[in-house]
Amino acid sequence: MASQNYPLWHNLFRSKGDDLSEVTRMWMATPLFEQIPERKCRELVNTMHPRHYKAGEKIFSSGDIGASVVLIKKGHVEIRAGDKLLAELSEGDFFGEVALIVDEPRTADAISVDNAELIFFLRSDLDEWIQRSPRDGAQFMLNIAKVLAARLRHTNILLSLQAE
Amino acid sequence: MLSRYLSQPLVKTSLLFTLILAVFALLAFLLAPLLMPIIISFALYAVLEPLSSMLERQGLSRTTSSLLVLLLLVIVSALAVSLFLPHLLSQLGYLQQQLPVMWNTLLESFNRLSLFFSQSLGFNLKDNLLQPLLDQTNSWGKTLLIQLSNILINLSVMTILVPIFTFFLIRDYRQIRNFFLDSLPNNSFELGWLIYARVAQQLQQYIRGIMIQSAIMSLMTGFGFFAIGLDSYILLGIVAGILNLIPYVGPLLAMVLPLLLVLGQSPLDLWLAGAAIGVILIAQIIDNVVVIPSVIANAVNLHPAMVIIGIIIFGNIWGFTGMVVAIPVLSTANIIFRGLYQGLQARSLYSENPLPAH
Repeated sequence: MASQNYPLWHNLFRSKGDDLSEVTRMWMATPLFEQIPERKCRELVNTMHPRHYKAGEKIFSSGDIGASVVLIKKGHVEIRAGDKLLAELSEGDFFGEVALIVDEPRTADAISVDNAELIFFLRSDLDEWIQRSPRDGAQFMLNIAKVLAARLRHTNILLSLQAE
Repeated sequence: MLSRYLSQPLVKTSLLFTLILAVFALLAFLLAPLLMPIIISFALYAVLEPLSSMLERQGLSRTTSSLLVLLLLVIVSALAVSLFLPHLLSQLGYLQQQLPVMWNTLLESFNRLSLFFSQSLGFNLKDNLLQPLLDQTNSWGKTLLIQLSNILINLSVMTILVPIFTFFLIRDYRQIRNFFLDSLPNNSFELGWLIYARVAQQLQQYIRGIMIQSAIMSLMTGFGFFAIGLDSYILLGIVAGILNLIPYVGPLLAMVLPLLLVLGQSPLDLWLAGAAIGVILIAQIIDNVVVIPSVIANAVNLHPAMVIIGIIIFGNIWGFTGMVVAIPVLSTANIIFRGLYQGLQARSLYSENPLPAH
């Protein structure tokens, strides 16, 4: 991966290859990488950016210009709109995927509940990957469309329930 | 009161932008003797990096693919030099011999023209127009010759440094870039990458585009000059291609040398002068209609007036190099300022009025 910010003692017992395989396995388990070969996913994971957040630290705020989708490698993350808790996410979950499609501000706050390790997959890296592997890139975009459609359907159901 | 003023997005952006400018200016000052090889290496990196990435995807290591690309660069350069250098040197020698003769012929023509105007119209063309023009041309010529000799001196240094820098850029640039951008604090990490991606995309598009455009211009004008029977066609083609690196002003400057060469010939060949202008105009039309829209359209997001002012200011301070780098530098500064402002403004706007989440 792009950089390793682990403490020294952590690195002594852990090779980069192990981390790469673990993060690849986690991404492969998400709907974003359905029908994409593991080799291609691993190639992409190699360009991703791991970052560490302390308990209570904001990952992004509503209004920030988003540039990446984020996978939770370790820890828990809350998605909030003001005081309202929208979701609590844990290891293996991902959020912020809209930023892979549009240059729009984030619509909610993401806050780290405990010490968390997150993997950022940037839109610029996705763009480069799509140019290199257009077929897998098209599959990836189809997967994002499916995720966004599922979220839209979920929101519509919630809204109709609220209206009733 | 002061902290409230300082937290305004525009003020904050301006302060951050000034800080970034100061860092870049300090780096440029410290690296001044190496700036030219670094700029050329970055331009070569922008062109060669996709090739190295392609080799890497075939299973080669980064170091091996970088070495192969470097080898290719050296072979192509050596071939080009061995093919064109003897012609180029002989044409330069010819030009060196001809320049004093041409200058005298030009002076005689100007004097005759001046005499004609003062006798027939009573207007002193020499003092009012020609002499200042001649003085200016003379000073430009001297500056150009001094810069040319400096370039030739630096050429030997560059021959060694450019391949080394290019190799390390192709091999290590991504790691160095990731190190710096990943060092940004958590709350600015995404914005930093977003601005970097925009700058990189625009610069890469511009550099690749302008290099292709210059090569096409060199070929078109070189062949054109050869076809009309102008001496020193290789040299003139290369000069036209290099001057084409300067938008708007470059093509005009490219006309000066062939015109001076033709006008300086004795007896004066008006057909050749017209044909030389014709070659450059046709090349310019093809460039504007075909080449620019297909290779560098949308690569620069600057107003034409800003481009011209930038070229004049940068050219005044740093000469030819300044004129060439004016556009990429201004374009980068423009993206950084806009990106910072967009990011900071959105953050301040939405912290006051949060969006309904979906």
